Amino acid sequence: MNRRVYLDHNASTPVHPEVLAAMLPYFAEHFGNPSSVHGFGRDARDGMDLARERIARFLGVRAEELVFTSGGTESDNLAVKGVALARGAGHVVTSAVEHHAVLRACQSLEAMGFAVTYVPVDGAGRVDPEAVQRALRPDTILVSIMHANSEVGTLMPVGDIGALTRPRGVVFHVDAVQTFGKLPLDVDALGIDLLSFSGHKIYGPKGVGGLYVRKGTRMVAVQHGGEHERRRRAGTENVPGVVGLGQAVAVRQRDMAEEAGRLAGLRERLWNGLRAAVEAVRLNGHPTERLPGTASLSFRHVESESVVLGLDLEGIAVSAGAACTSGHVEPSHVLTAMGLPLDWAMGTVRCSLGRETTAGDVDYVVERTAALVGRLRAMSPVAS
Amino acid sequence: MMRDPDGVGEEEYPECMDLARFYLRVREGRVVEARFQTYGCGPTIAAASAGTVLAAGQRLEDLAALDAARVDAAVGGLPADRAHAAELVALALRAAARDALRRQGSNGGAHV
Repeated sequence: MNRRVYLDHNASTPVHPEVLAAMLPYFAEHFGNPSSVHGFGRDARDGMDLARERIARFLGVRAEELVFTSGGTESDNLAVKGVALARGAGHVVTSAVEHHAVLRACQSLEAMGFAVTYVPVDGAGRVDPEAVQRALRPDTILVSIMHANSEVGTLMPVGDIGALTRPRGVVFHVDAVQTFGKLPLDVDALGIDLLSFSGHKIYGPKGVGGLYVRKGTRMVAVQHGGEHERRRRAGTENVPGVVGLGQAVAVRQRDMAEEAGRLAGLRERLWNGLRAAVEAVRLNGHPTERLPGTASLSFRHVESESVVLGLDLEGIAVSAGAACTSGHVEPSHVLTAMGLPLDWAMGTVRCSLGRETTAGDVDYVVERTAALVGRLRAMSPVAS
Repeated sequence: MMRDPDGVGEEEYPECMDLARFYLRVREGRVVEARFQTYGCGPTIAAASAGTVLAAGQRLEDLAALDAARVDAAVGGLPADRAHAAELVALALRAAARDALRRQGSNGGAHV
């Protein structure tokens, strides 16, 4: 049996043992509805309140400025649609490389008559603040730019963008799903009004996330019903999930700085190992402004799905940068927006390292990937 | 790859850049060995590999009329959105068989 190595932490992460332990009592012991007046409900509410306090302190914001959701996608939808629908009409600026949750929420706004500008990115996947500035119009109501791109790991200059939006009174939303709990975030210094985050990217459970909403930001609910979350998001909260999210944040607060350094070192080890062992390989994204544990690698003249499947057969999990469906290939919208040539884009895989990734894991992955790429290239009529 | 193949055929699917090429060794009108090269996704590689097993022992005239359904069956069935892998392999094998027939100077075989 091969050893198993998981290098897809940007997709999801294993729940930390402390998080699981914190969550368990909230399934069958403190199971009440947190909106209930009685003691059973109050037990559940106390757990939620503690989590909310922890996350608020972590972000340096007020507890009442946090809305719990079902995850990053819902947070993104609430931010984008909630702000737009509060105004009724207007113009939105976003980037070409946002997560589909933001892109498709913006597309749904276009269908409703809003105007949207999708600002292009450079070859490293970074948006230029001056391009954002040029896109701003008198009727711009929202700018939504992600903090880090999940595919290539490039960090966006969110502070520079916040400096543009704040004086203009334009709401600034940042999808921080890939940076919350990994890199420091100061919403005041960066000029951020709305911030999306997710539990399962930081060793918390799936099915829970949150949206920071700066006090005074006009936003309507997109999910209606009871009075939950100060009427910003109806529906009984995922109490065990919220408790888990709070515990995950507490763990990250403790571990995140050292972890970032360790992961950056391992990522360098992975990249240096591969480029010594394999020809025609490149590392995508910005050389310095990047997530520590993400390595988007393009192997020329090799097809990404065959690499992902081949590595899977060796017990190694990575993700593909191109998808083949119904005979159409689509390199990801991110790689396309970065202008990566097709014969490189087609051979892109993403490795995202995590808490339990070791140097031994990295060396194993380098060895197996080099062998696999060699076999695929030998098999290929185009790699000559 | 094969030294001095008796027939070579390839097919490409431009929409996804999948490509399969087959080399045939033929004795007395039958394929004794087939080898492949391919660039493409997992299903394409699997179908090409299955194609070489399928081709072995076939008469050239039969291989020149190979349909995608037989390749699909040989690889154990493909999901609907990957059906192009079987088509690609079938077309490439047919091209290889036709090439082999042409080299033999045969008048038989399908002209498709």
